[in-house]
Amino acid sequence: MPHLDAGYNLARWLTRDVHDAEDVVQDACMRALKYVGTLRDGAARAWFLTIVRHAFYDWCGRNRPAEILKDDGTAIDMAADETAMGPEQAALRSSESRVLADAVAELPLVFREVLVLRELEELSYKEIARIADIPVGTVMSRLARARSLLRRSPLLHSIRGRTSGGEQ
Amino acid sequence: MNCNEAGMLVAKYADGEVDSLQGRSIEQHLRGCAACAAKHQDLLALRAQIGAEVPYFTATPELRERVRALLANAQDTARARPRPKRDRWGWLTGGFVAGCAATLLAWGVGTTVIAWRANEDVAVEAVATHVRATLNNHLIQVASSDQHTVKPWLSARLDYSPPVQDLASEGFALTGGRLDMLNKQRVATLVYSRRLHTIDVFVRPESAPAPSTLRTVRGFNVVHATGSGMDWIAVSDVSADELTQFVQRLAQQTATP
Repeated sequence: MPHLDAGYNLARWLTRDVHDAEDVVQDACMRALKYVGTLRDGAARAWFLTIVRHAFYDWCGRNRPAEILKDDGTAIDMAADETAMGPEQAALRSSESRVLADAVAELPLVFREVLVLRELEELSYKEIARIADIPVGTVMSRLARARSLLRRSPLLHSIRGRTSGGEQ
Repeated sequence: MNCNEAGMLVAKYADGEVDSLQGRSIEQHLRGCAACAAKHQDLLALRAQIGAEVPYFTATPELRERVRALLANAQDTARARPRPKRDRWGWLTGGFVAGCAATLLAWGVGTTVIAWRANEDVAVEAVATHVRATLNNHLIQVASSDQHTVKPWLSARLDYSPPVQDLASEGFALTGGRLDMLNKQRVATLVYSRRLHTIDVFVRPESAPAPSTLRTVRGFNVVHATGSGMDWIAVSDVSADELTQFVQRLAQQTATP
């Protein structure tokens, strides 16, 4: 299982829980075995990540249906505000390097998955589009949104202290 | 390129997703535009920070072991049970359906052709019988214009009782009856005369309902009709219209005194 780590990493970031991630990965492995016939050459990692993502959404539908509901565009800002912490809360947290990771973990699901696939798996827009079953344009806009949410995150501001120079 | 156009490209550029042409124009723009260059730097910094601070989780050895066992187990059971069960059934179902379709098609075409041929044969045979009877002058075995004489005579010699009707009032006089072989089957033949013409009407139990058909074989008109549970095949040299009317009148058996 050469792409087990990639699958586990994605599951871990999607579920944000060690044990849930393991459940999802195991389910995905069973599915992979079943659908091994649909695997095309040279895209094994993206193929397996697609399966992991499907396994996650099925799992999520069973265990955390509320999280999928945030998928629609109108809920995005609300979700971002809900999940983001207040500055004082952030200040209470250790101001160590885990801060950015926490900010990523608190991104709404649709942005988190695109960001993780891009920044951690280092997949191309096209591959991400295929895995997440969305157009490339949507990948780009979600990625941009994910990054701006990270920059706006109170967690980060308390740490980085500086504003991005380019914004007018 | 202005900053608007550069907006989306900056992210693409930072992600290494631009082609060489776009790359050149964005680089040119970034050199001249401090705001966009700052955006680009900011993006690169964020990417670098994510790369440095956001962990990539790897599967624990326990998970790895569990998955390995899971897969080995699944493969074993798959090997024990002939694996492509679903596929095999798929083929079987496909083959079965295709076979059924082919059989049905062949059967449909076959019966159509056979029915058509049989019709053809019956018409030809009916004309041949009519001609033979006329030439041999043995048109009539039971000579009577009385339907109550002809009917029992025929019934006694057949396993069915054909309806017999004298239509002398309408210009079709019953002159008698005889037995014939038609399509390897004994049939009752009713003989009518219309002025100087002779009309043979072959009556046999209805095999399949068929619409009235008119054919002409060697100059004779052959009209086929069904009614009263019988097949009626009339052969004569009278006009087609008259013959059709007559045979339909017989088949309907409207007035039986």
